[in-house]
Amino acid sequence: MKSVSFLIRAAALLAALSSAPPLAAQHLLVPMDDSQQNHLKAYGLTFFALKAGDKAEWFLNYRGGSFLLPDDPALRRKAALDGVTVLPIDDGAVAAARKEIAAGNMDAITLEKAPHIAIYAPAKSPPWDDAVTLALKYAGIEYTQIWDDEILKTDISKFDWIHLHHEDFTGQENKLHLGFRDAPWFIEQRDNDLAAAQRNGFSNIPALKKAVAGRLHDFVDKGGFLFAMCGATETLELAMAALNVDIAGPFFDGTPMDPDADSKMDWTRAFAFQNAHLEMSPGVNAMSDIDGHQVNVPTRRQPLGQFTLFNFSAKFDPVASMLVQNHRQVIPDFYGVTTSFNKAVLKPGDVVLATEDGAPWVKYLHGDYGKGSWTYLGGHDPEDPQHNIGALPTDLSLHPNSPGYRLILNNVLFPAAKKKPLKT
Amino acid sequence: MKSGALALLIVFALRPSAAAAQAQSVAVNRAFDFEQAGRMREAIGAWRQVIASGQAAQGMLGLERIFAALAQDDSVLPPLDSLLTQTPTDKVLRGVQLRVLRSLGREQDAHKAFDEWVKLVPHDAAPYREYAGELLADGRASAADTILQQASAQLGSTKALTIEIAQLRAALGLWAAAAAAWRDAMLAEEYLEQTVVYSLQAAPIAQRDSVRAVLRASTTASSKRVLGSLELQWGAARDGWRAIATLTAADSAFNTWNDFAQDAERQGAWLAARDAYAAMNKMRPSAATALRAAQMSISGGEPASALDLIASARAELQPVAIRTTVLPLQIRALTQLGRAAEAEALVAHDSASLDAGTKRAYARMIAWGWIRSGQVEKARAAIAGGSGDDEDEVTAWIALYDGDLAKARGGLRRPTEATAEVLTAMALLSRTKADSSRSAGAAFLALARADSAQAVVRFERAADELPDAAPLLLALAARVQSARHQDGPAIALWQRILTQYANAPEAAESDLEWARTLRRKGDMNGAVDHLEHLILTYPQSALVPQARRELEAARTGNAQ
Repeated sequence: MKSVSFLIRAAALLAALSSAPPLAAQHLLVPMDDSQQNHLKAYGLTFFALKAGDKAEWFLNYRGGSFLLPDDPALRRKAALDGVTVLPIDDGAVAAARKEIAAGNMDAITLEKAPHIAIYAPAKSPPWDDAVTLALKYAGIEYTQIWDDEILKTDISKFDWIHLHHEDFTGQENKLHLGFRDAPWFIEQRDNDLAAAQRNGFSNIPALKKAVAGRLHDFVDKGGFLFAMCGATETLELAMAALNVDIAGPFFDGTPMDPDADSKMDWTRAFAFQNAHLEMSPGVNAMSDIDGHQVNVPTRRQPLGQFTLFNFSAKFDPVASMLVQNHRQVIPDFYGVTTSFNKAVLKPGDVVLATEDGAPWVKYLHGDYGKGSWTYLGGHDPEDPQHNIGALPTDLSLHPNSPGYRLILNNVLFPAAKKKPLKT
Repeated sequence: MKSGALALLIVFALRPSAAAAQAQSVAVNRAFDFEQAGRMREAIGAWRQVIASGQAAQGMLGLERIFAALAQDDSVLPPLDSLLTQTPTDKVLRGVQLRVLRSLGREQDAHKAFDEWVKLVPHDAAPYREYAGELLADGRASAADTILQQASAQLGSTKALTIEIAQLRAALGLWAAAAAAWRDAMLAEEYLEQTVVYSLQAAPIAQRDSVRAVLRASTTASSKRVLGSLELQWGAARDGWRAIATLTAADSAFNTWNDFAQDAERQGAWLAARDAYAAMNKMRPSAATALRAAQMSISGGEPASALDLIASARAELQPVAIRTTVLPLQIRALTQLGRAAEAEALVAHDSASLDAGTKRAYARMIAWGWIRSGQVEKARAAIAGGSGDDEDEVTAWIALYDGDLAKARGGLRRPTEATAEVLTAMALLSRTKADSSRSAGAAFLALARADSAQAVVRFERAADELPDAAPLLLALAARVQSARHQDGPAIALWQRILTQYANAPEAAESDLEWARTLRRKGDMNGAVDHLEHLILTYPQSALVPQARRELEAARTGNAQ
């Protein structure tokens, strides 16, 4: 059967070459507007090119944020297999595109190397999905899965990019004990975290997670890129700002929250927020007033609307522009443990990437801290607005053009960009 | 006395308003009568009287209709303006104003009127709903989007505009989001079901799975009913039935199933209709419903289940009804199953009470039964003395079994039932130009006799006899081998197709089936090779999207 397999591979390669459009092309343009059949796998294709040592260009605001790749049989083959639309173009067409880019609010950013990515996720998956893991797996982008031991005991500066999703860095397991304390998965998760705490010399989970948050803080401070979604955004900020304050309820560390915790928070250690107020009641499933939607507090829950991506100047704000490349400007909102970020608690230097018009919150934030930078996207799963515990993971093959998932993948490629001084 | 005085007082108090209501009703009826009769001049006067009687909204709607029919929309504005001065926040009047201004092409004035309305009722969703709805109806999704965003900003929530948001998302082609919005809207307004079906049925094929996923994630009866109707509209009636099959009596399941069954029947989705009728029969047993289900089952090519349904109905019916309604179904089911001898016995039992025409019809069915079991001689005997017409389907099948392709082609041109066997035979007859092939006939005969081993041998031999249909015949042989779990011989046939007939339509199918077989056997790398080969070699094949899905699953080791 081996020889048959070889023949099939050889035949497929020949077929890919023979069915390829004009051989005269020197480049492959990956359009990212509505003509693209599979936006999400297009990021995977670009990553594949970078991984193979090729250089790529990201044409910001040009045809939905398209990519320019070298014309290469392996790339054509992968594009055909993944259903990614590519347009073979010659130098003349590229020159014309560059002229158009130079004349408008567009820019060409060189992507140099495949970023080294880590996802902070427990070894055993909890009963909810992680949008970034889903996106990377679907797009075919390689990553390393890390958890508390790796963060605390290994050199995480080797990663360009660390992603956090649903985890609770206050160590309160997202306060899910309020509804799931007897659920086997909850007990297992709590026991695993407790074991990790003891393994690393901490007496309880809040202390462990605070130490992990501290390491992540240092990772960004020293030049790393951090992307967080859902509850990780809010709780990471709280954990970093609460370096010397007990902000965990008695269920998790045996002691009540410090009654003066609010006034003892050191917001200078936080990346994005300041002057937020902690939720002092252990029986209320919220952490603070950072989240605008408060989905798990029925009396405070706000309905979902839709958020609008800002259109930045590609030439003056390339980083912000990269993060908002999309074929849709208006995207339906989606809930998460933390869905949005109240404007009242933003730091002045935060760059708001997406907001809901007229609402007191924003959806998508970016900023620099120390030598690195961070990006926060509220919500859990862009294609499952009301994602519930135990719901089936989203099947991204049903959403190959998801504008929400594109935002996640923009963050994956952003660290691949050749450094360019920001003018604003 | 006291109570009598009180009662009298109430009568007097009611009398004037009752009289006024009656007068108003008379005025409205009179206006409608004029309008119906096309007497527009009188209708205009009558609707003005309705307005004068205090029913401003109804009267204005009447005037709007009539002036629109007369292409004089601008005539609506003078009376409307004066009414709005009196009741500036009346929703109906404001709605008329927006519609008329827009139909006159006065977009800026319409927007101004909208702004004015919003200013008057800043916390009311009505202006946004009305204006966004108008824009959506005109296909101006972006403009509607702007209005709804404005609503969100002004009202702090778009909860009161869920319907408009759902429509907007559908108009923008955000189908999953539209489905989610409709799903939420139906939680409050169940009556929206038909609207939701109408909105979502336009989802393109590639987006339908995401709509399905959203609706399946909901456990409400409305979502199930909507998904059932959508699947029916999208030509996936069995999936539609699965969506509504779990409804309970509390969800008005019986009526839903009945509506579904009738719609499915109208669309020729026999088995979905059968499932629905059978479920109805289980919930409320009735001979009529059981026989209807049996009828659908036979039409759908599953006669075995029809026999069970017929048996359940039989006990409730009188002998005459059995002879006229049950017997024809029974004969049809038995002959479809190739159980011609049993059908013959049933006919013989009732022979004395059957007329000659009915007997002839049964004889043809029985001949079919013999054909299905490969008893060609008995089939010939059953129709002995019949028309012998070349166009006759029974004669055509006998000809096919004899290898007379030309005669078979004539009779199978317009088959009465599109069963798998008929479609396979038609595929062969349209693919080859040859007029005869003993091996092809023998292959079909072997299939009819359920002799799959012989069928494979004959199909392969026929491939040599009929070079123009060789890949089809080899693919048929491979299908039979695969069904017999003879993976090795099946793979050899697919390999032959891919090697010798790489440009044939069966080549892509061969790759896909080969890959599936390898996946079943745990050879994921081999499966990936074949799926990749299919995608790269036959990019225009309709099987490519399916191949991509299976490639993804094979790479990640997921079961499918």
